[in-house]
Amino acid sequence: MTMQSPEKPSSSPIRKPLNLIQAINEALREELLRDQSVLVFGEDVAKRGGVFLATEGLQSEFGKKRVFDTPLSEASIVGAAVGMCVRGLRPVAEIQFADYLYPGFDQIVSQAAKIRYRSGGGFYCPMVIRTPSGGGVRGGNHHSQSPESYFTHTPGLKVVMPSTPYDAKGLLKEAIRLDDPVMFFEPKRLYRSFKEDVPLDDYTIPFGKAATRMEGSDITLIGYGGVMPDVIKAAEALKAEGIHPEVLDLRTLIPWDREAVLSSVAKTGRVVLISEAPRTSNFMGEVAYVIQEELFDQMLAPVVQVAGFDTPYPYALDKVYLPGPNRILRAAAKSLGY
Amino acid sequence: MFEAFTNQPIRLIGEDGSRTQPFELDLGVDELLQIHRDMIRSRVCDERLIPILRQGKTSFYAQSTGMEATQIGIAWGTRKKHDWYWPYYRDNGLILTLGMPLKRWISQLLGSNDDVCKGRQMPQHFSDPENHIASICSAIGSHIAPAAGTAIAQKYLGTDEITICTFGEGATSEGDWHAGVNMASANKAPCLFICENNQYAISLNVRDQTNSKNIAVKGHAYGIPGFYVDGQDVLAVRAVVKQAAEYIRAGNGSVLIECLTYRIGTHSSSDDDSRYRSKEEVESWRAQDPLVRFERFLEKEGILPAREEIEAYYGSVLAEFEEALSTSDASGYPTWEILFDDVYSDLPDHLAQQAIYVREENL
Ligand SMILES: Cc1ncc(C[n+]2csc(CCOP(=O)(O)OP(=O)(O)O)c2C)c(N)n1
Repeated sequence: MTMQSPEKPSSSPIRKPLNLIQAINEALREELLRDQSVLVFGEDVAKRGGVFLATEGLQSEFGKKRVFDTPLSEASIVGAAVGMCVRGLRPVAEIQFADYLYPGFDQIVSQAAKIRYRSGGGFYCPMVIRTPSGGGVRGGNHHSQSPESYFTHTPGLKVVMPSTPYDAKGLLKEAIRLDDPVMFFEPKRLYRSFKEDVPLDDYTIPFGKAATRMEGSDITLIGYGGVMPDVIKAAEALKAEGIHPEVLDLRTLIPWDREAVLSSVAKTGRVVLISEAPRTSNFMGEVAYVIQEELFDQMLAPVVQVAGFDTPYPYALDKVYLPGPNRILRAAAKSLGY
Repeated sequence: MFEAFTNQPIRLIGEDGSRTQPFELDLGVDELLQIHRDMIRSRVCDERLIPILRQGKTSFYAQSTGMEATQIGIAWGTRKKHDWYWPYYRDNGLILTLGMPLKRWISQLLGSNDDVCKGRQMPQHFSDPENHIASICSAIGSHIAPAAGTAIAQKYLGTDEITICTFGEGATSEGDWHAGVNMASANKAPCLFICENNQYAISLNVRDQTNSKNIAVKGHAYGIPGFYVDGQDVLAVRAVVKQAAEYIRAGNGSVLIECLTYRIGTHSSSDDDSRYRSKEEVESWRAQDPLVRFERFLEKEGILPAREEIEAYYGSVLAEFEEALSTSDASGYPTWEILFDDVYSDLPDHLAQQAIYVREENL
């Protein structure tokens, strides 16, 4: 019933240590090479190579027709992408910060998300909106937000947030090939935080498959995006105390891996859900709902959630706001001590 | 050559049907008579839909009576099935003239099984990929930037197509209208923006919509020509649209055209226009009927068909309409089975779960 493209794993022994932003750049480059219908555009993406350099070098390699700067208008960047799809292209648009998706919000929810449904499948939108998201870079109110839940709430959009260079490349390549509009959130504080070996060939990661970052049987920790390194730190601290946590990285929110979540929580009976988006109406609330609905009588403790607070993102109190390892451990203790 | 930014609307035929200036007509008799039939077809369907609505067969309708010269003129000035169109919900005359089959349009109004949109949208939100007509979105002005994108794609693909985007004058106040026109013009995209200025956005008169002297002058802000045309004159609309389309096709970037017209009917089937405009005003515009003006022209040219022939055509459109209505209605109406189709290219797990739930309810 669920049709998913199979994972196309890498067969290449040639790997290169890349950070997350380099992996994004590599994915864009490979897709531009592979398919003439792929175009890359947005504010400052061409000459400047993007404010975070995700698109560095692409215009000089592929020319001004394929990689170009646009006027400063998110509504027209997204809207133009919709119109390009109607005429058969596969646009990859950059919105400079996720905080600036809002001027393009109507184009995303009214046009991109609904054109397939409202035309009975006559038109569809194979586009990707890439955008740096989340906190931890001293960006204050308007360069730190995690707005993914607005988009998980909109039927028709697929929503992704990788946390590793390997996943970023494989998921972005998959996003570009999918025939649906994809909101591709890039946790900007992880752009340059670490490198890992990334295959230099063509591989993709299917949507809707969580990654198990650590196997264990005592408690499940589930996160995605920018919080993942802290989730792993917390898990390691638990392990040092003789507790065996299982760590899942959702990687994609729409669709999300129900099966992996439910089988892990069925095994451990305890779960902590971790994200940095504001708590109320946070996507993890849906994950919590499904867990309690399906596993109510197998749970050893209530579902515990760690999220951002319901305040605008505070500049000076960055560290208080973001769920670090200590707050995750406190939540785990609550579950374990129940 | 028509000039941009004129103070008076560009006009070729006057109220009495005579030429306002000497011009060479590049249309043969057959074409002129086809334009006449296209205007009639649009008018007949528009009028026929009112009783259909009263019978409750459809829930909403946006009339186009009085705007035929504008809408049919646009279709005749561009290249059907070659160019691409982002129209708006009132464009009945345009889409029918572009070749959307009457039954396809009526099926959308009914939301029956014959509707290619599968009954997903309220009436007047048509979509017709075969005729290059993009899907209508209710959010006013939200199709301007997409039209710019289609034009950018046409330029990238190296085609000689252009994109035609139509809207009411109310749409020109939306932020996305300005963003979209700027996007097209900054990219020198082959995009023709056409405002069907029928002078009211629901109840708001155009004089309160904008302080600009007209809509065409807004082209100045984006560095593109703005043509101000008499939207009751089908030949003027067609000629200016054609000139603009050729200019765009030659690689000169985007153009804005304003067609000054009038909406004779109410805004929609749920509107009461006596609250915001006088009967006298409506009557004065009814007296400037674009169909009558064109018939006077044909008469002066000595080619107006005999009354009986015109009546017979009215009759044939009505018959076509009734046939489309009854066969579309007979195709039945969508049931829950298609609720979850076309949200995505596939059926993600969470939707599959919801589909199981609805199926259980319907066992
Ligand atoms: C963004 C948005 N705001 C409000 C509406 C409600 N609305 C529907 S039609 C309309 C007036 C549109 O007027 P105009 O663009 O001049 O076109 P007309 O209907 O006169 O042909 C309004 C306000 C809407 N559909 N979308």
